[in-house]
Amino acid sequence: MKKKQLLAVAGTVAVAALALTGCTAGDSGDTGSDDPIRVGISLPLTGDFAEPGTAIERGYQAWADMVNEGGGLLGRQVELVIVDDQSNPDKVVADYEKLIGQDQVDLVAGPFSSRLVIPAARVAQEYGMAFVEPAGAAADVFNQGFDNLFYAAPAVADDHWNHLVEAIVAMPESERPTTAAYAVMDDPFAMGTAYGLKAKLEGLGIETLADVVYPPTTTEFTDIAAKIAATKADIVVGGTQYQDAVNQIVALRQLGYQPKLAAYSAAPTNPEFANAIGGATDGILAPTAYTPDASYPSNVAFVEWYTAKHDAAPSEDEANAYTTGQVIQAAVEAVGCAEQGECQQKLVDWLHGNTVDTVVGPLSWDANGRPQGAHLIMQWQDGEIKIVFPADAAEGEFVYPKAAW
Amino acid sequence: MLSVSRVVRIVTLLVVAVAVVTFPQWAPNPYILSAGVVVLIYATLSTSWNFVGGFTGYMSIGHAAWFGLGAYGTGLLIARLDIPSFAALFISAAIVGLIAIPVGLAALRVRGISFVIVTVALLLVLQLVFQGLADLTGGSQGLVVPRPFPDLLRPEHHAVFFLIFTALLAVNLVAWWAIDRSRFGLRLKAIREDEDKAQALGIPTRAYKLSMFVVSGVLAALAGGLYALWFGDLDPIFVFSILFSVYAVLMALVGGIRHLFGPVLGAVIVGVGAEFFKAGFGDTQLHLVLTGGLLAVVVLFMPDGLIPAARDLIDRFRPQQSSIREVTVEQLREAERQGNAGIDAQEVGK
Amino acid sequence: MSLALVLQSIVLGLLLGGAYALLASGLTLYFGVMRVIQIAHPAFLVLAAYLAWDVHQKFGIDPLLTMVVMVPLFFAMGFLFQRVLISRLRPRTLEMMSVLLTFAIALIIEGLLGFVYSGTQRRINLPYSDASIEIADVHIPAVKLVSFGLAALALVALYILLSKTALGQALRATIQHPEAARLVGINTERVAGFGFGIGLATAAVGGTAMSLNATIYPSLHWHYIGILLAVIVVGGLGSVWGAAIAAMVLGVSQSLLQLQLGPIWAQTFFYVALFVTLLVRPQGFFGGRLAQRF
Repeated sequence: MKKKQLLAVAGTVAVAALALTGCTAGDSGDTGSDDPIRVGISLPLTGDFAEPGTAIERGYQAWADMVNEGGGLLGRQVELVIVDDQSNPDKVVADYEKLIGQDQVDLVAGPFSSRLVIPAARVAQEYGMAFVEPAGAAADVFNQGFDNLFYAAPAVADDHWNHLVEAIVAMPESERPTTAAYAVMDDPFAMGTAYGLKAKLEGLGIETLADVVYPPTTTEFTDIAAKIAATKADIVVGGTQYQDAVNQIVALRQLGYQPKLAAYSAAPTNPEFANAIGGATDGILAPTAYTPDASYPSNVAFVEWYTAKHDAAPSEDEANAYTTGQVIQAAVEAVGCAEQGECQQKLVDWLHGNTVDTVVGPLSWDANGRPQGAHLIMQWQDGEIKIVFPADAAEGEFVYPKAAW
Repeated sequence: MLSVSRVVRIVTLLVVAVAVVTFPQWAPNPYILSAGVVVLIYATLSTSWNFVGGFTGYMSIGHAAWFGLGAYGTGLLIARLDIPSFAALFISAAIVGLIAIPVGLAALRVRGISFVIVTVALLLVLQLVFQGLADLTGGSQGLVVPRPFPDLLRPEHHAVFFLIFTALLAVNLVAWWAIDRSRFGLRLKAIREDEDKAQALGIPTRAYKLSMFVVSGVLAALAGGLYALWFGDLDPIFVFSILFSVYAVLMALVGGIRHLFGPVLGAVIVGVGAEFFKAGFGDTQLHLVLTGGLLAVVVLFMPDGLIPAARDLIDRFRPQQSSIREVTVEQLREAERQGNAGIDAQEVGK
Repeated sequence: MSLALVLQSIVLGLLLGGAYALLASGLTLYFGVMRVIQIAHPAFLVLAAYLAWDVHQKFGIDPLLTMVVMVPLFFAMGFLFQRVLISRLRPRTLEMMSVLLTFAIALIIEGLLGFVYSGTQRRINLPYSDASIEIADVHIPAVKLVSFGLAALALVALYILLSKTALGQALRATIQHPEAARLVGINTERVAGFGFGIGLATAAVGGTAMSLNATIYPSLHWHYIGILLAVIVVGGLGSVWGAAIAAMVLGVSQSLLQLQLGPIWAQTFFYVALFVTLLVRPQGFFGGRLAQRF
C-alpha cells in the first residue's frame, strides 16, 4: 500500500509541476502597430563581468530613451527587456531562448564578452534572428559560420593595436623597443588583443621574453608580476579585462618594474581605472573604439544627452551598446519592419549591404560580421585619456618612453 | 495475480510516463521545452548520483566531474577526431568508466571524509586541467560541439533531445530499480547501514562500492555527453561546476535518497521552483541563498527527504492497517531501521 | 632564469605559505574537535574581507584596526554555528551531512555577499599598497609582509592558547580522545563550540590579511577550498603544525613551479599532492596521529 501512495504522490507532484511550468508561458506575441517594439537583451549584471555589463546596460538604455524622446522607431516606442545572465553561458542561452521563444520580443541585441556572444548568437541564428552585438570582438566569434551576426565596433580584437604597431614601425630604428613581455588572461577577447599585437611585434623583430597566461579567476598576481619584472622587457602587454589589469599593474609596481611602454586592453578606458591603481596611470596605453570628443554628428548628440543625464561623458562600454542600438535602428528604419519572422532576414540582408553611421564612425561588415575598421589608441597623460593614434584623430602627442609609475 | 494496489501503481506510472513523453507536443513554447530538457538533465544526473549516494551512503559532491568528462570526451571525439556523434557518446562513456576505476579505488580506500575530499578535489583539478590543456580543449575559450542533427530547427532539436534524455532517465531508473530489488542491492544497503558489520558478514565491500562508483560515473558521463550534443558549447568552469554537483545532491536529498523516484521528484521540485523564483524575484544572487537555505533545511530537518515525510503525513490521516498481510517484508525492514535510528538518537542524546 | 627570480619566487612562496598556514589552521581545528570538514571556512574568510573592505570604504578605517572588532565577532559566530547548527546533526551521518550543511552555509554567504555588494571585484587602496622592501634584488611587497606577520602572530597566539591554557588543554583532550575527555569531566560539546569559535576567529584574521592585498569577489572562496583541503590532507588531518609545514612546502612549490609551468598548472600541483598523499600515506606527511583512525 505504501508504495502505491508513494507513486501516487510522486506522480501527482510531477504532473502538477509540469502543468505549472506550462502556466508560466507568456501569452504575448501579437504585434499591433501601436505596441512598443520590444528588444530582448541578456547582460552580465552580476558575476565576473558585472562592471562592464552594467555599463553596457546604461548604453542600451540611453539609446532607447533617446529614440523614444525623438518619437520612437517606426512610430512605435522602444522597450528594452533586459535579463541578467550572471556571466554564465548556460544562462545566456536560456535567456535568449526565453526572450525569443516565450517573451516573443521583436528584436534581440547582444550580451557582453566574447565568451557569452558565441552561445547567444547560435540561439539567435537558429531562431532566424538578426544579432547585432556590442562586445564579441574575438576572432572565434567570426569563425563559427554565423551569417546573422554583426559586431558593432570598428575592429576585431586581433586588430585593436594596429595603429600602435604602425607607430612603432615609424620610430627610428635605434629608438625602437626591442623586447616585450606578455601577461594574458585566458579569455577569447583578452587573448585576441594581446596575441594580435604579439604576432605583429614579433614580425618587427621585437623579442618575446615572457608570455604568461592566467585563468580568469586569478586574483594573486605577485608571482606573475615577478616573472614579467625579471625580464626587464621594454614593453609590457596585458591581455586584460578590468580587475586583472589593476592587480597586474599594482603588483608590477610593488616589484619595481619600469617598462618603457605599457599596453593594456579594455581596463584603462574604464572610468574607475585611475582610482583603482592609485593614480599612477601616466603613459599607459589602450585601444579604444570610442572617444567622446569624436565629431561624428550622432556622437555630439549622444554625448550631450548622456552628460546631461549622468553628469559624466560616456565611456567605451556605454558607447558600444549605444552603437549597437544605432545599427539596429538604421536597419529597422531602412527595412520598415521590426518583428520575428521574415523581417529578420531582411534586416540581416540590409546590414550586409550597407554602411551605418554611428558614434564610432561609419561601420560596415563582411559576410561573417567582422567590422572593417580600426581602433583608436589612447594614452593616459596627466590624469586624462588622450587619443594619440591615428594622427588624424590625435588629441595628444604619443609619449615614449613612458614616465615611471 | 494483480492486486488492486499494483494496478493503481502501474496506471499512475503509465499516466506520468505518457505525460512526460508527450510533453514536446503540449509544451506551450520552445523555451518551456528547453527548460524541460534542463530538468530532465538534472533528474538524470541526480539519479545517477543516487547509485552511490543512495545505496552505499557515500556522498560525492564532485559528481559533475563525470558529467564533465563525458561531455568533453564526446565533444572532443566529434570535434577533433570526426567520430559520429552517438558513437562518440558511447566511446566517451566507456572511457569514463575506465577512468572511474582507479579514481574509485583511491577514493574508497579511506572512508567517509576522505571520499568527500577526493570527489571535490577531482572536480576542481579537472576544471584546471581542461582550462590548462587549451590546445586540445579550447581552454576558457570553450569547445564548440557540432550538432548531431544539423537540419533540425531549434524547437525540433529540443523535442528530440527531450525524448532522448527521457530514455536515458528511464535506463537510470530501471537499473536503480533492478539493483534495489536484488540481493546485490541488499548487500549494498548493508554497507550503508554498517560497513564493518557488512564486511564481517563476508560482503566484499570494496568491490561492491567500486562497482556502484563506476556505474554511477558512466551514467553521469552519458548524461554529460548528451548535454554536449544538445547544448553545443562547453566551458570548463561551467561543466565542471561544484554548484552543479551540489544541485544533484540537493535534488536527491529533497526527494529522498532511499527511493527510486526521490531524485526525479527533487529535480522537478527544485528545477521548477528555481524557474518560479526567477520569475518572481528576478535574477539576483538571492537564488544562491535560496539554494543554500533549502539544502540546510533538508540536511537539518528532513535528511530522509520529502517522500518519507509526505508518506508519514498521509499515514497520519489514514485508518490503521486492517490486515497484517499488507505489511511487506520491505516495510518491516524499514520500520525496523527507523526503530534502530530512534535508539541511536536516544543513546547519543544521553 | 635568473637566480634573483628564483630567490624572489621562494620569498613570495614563503609569504603565501604563511597565509595558507593560518587559513588551514582553522580547518584543522574544526576537524579535530568534531571530525567535520568545514567547507564554509573560506566563505567566512571572504565575508571578513568584505566587511573590512566595507568599513574602509565607508569610514576610511585601516583593516588592521577593524580586526579588533572582527575577531570577537567571528568567535561568537563560530560558537553559535557549532552549538545551533552542527550539533543538531545525527552523529551516525555527521561526516557526510556536515559537509553538505557547511556547503549550504557557504552558498548562503556567497549569495548574500553578491546581493549586497554585487559581483564586482573589490580591492582596498591603502597608502602602502605599492610600497615594498628591496633586499639584494628581491622585492618584498609591504602588504604581503604585513599579511605574513598577521598570520605568524595568529599562529603563535593559537599555539599559546592550545598549550598553556586550561581551554587549550580541554581542546586538545577533546581532539585526542573525546570519550576519555568526557570521563574526566570535560564538557566536550561546549569545547567543540569553542573550537569552532577559534576557527572562525582565525578566519577573521585571515580575511583581514587577504583584504590588504588581494582582490575580492563573492565566489572567491571556491578558489581557496581546494588549496586548503590539499594543505590539511598533506599535513595530516587534524594536525595544526602538520598543516603549517605543508602550507609552507606547498606555497613555495607552487611559486617555483609557476616559473616554469604558468599559473594554471602550478595550481594543479596542490591536487596532485592531495591525491598522492591519500594513495601513499593517508595519515599525512607531517603529523596526523589522529588521521590514522580514518
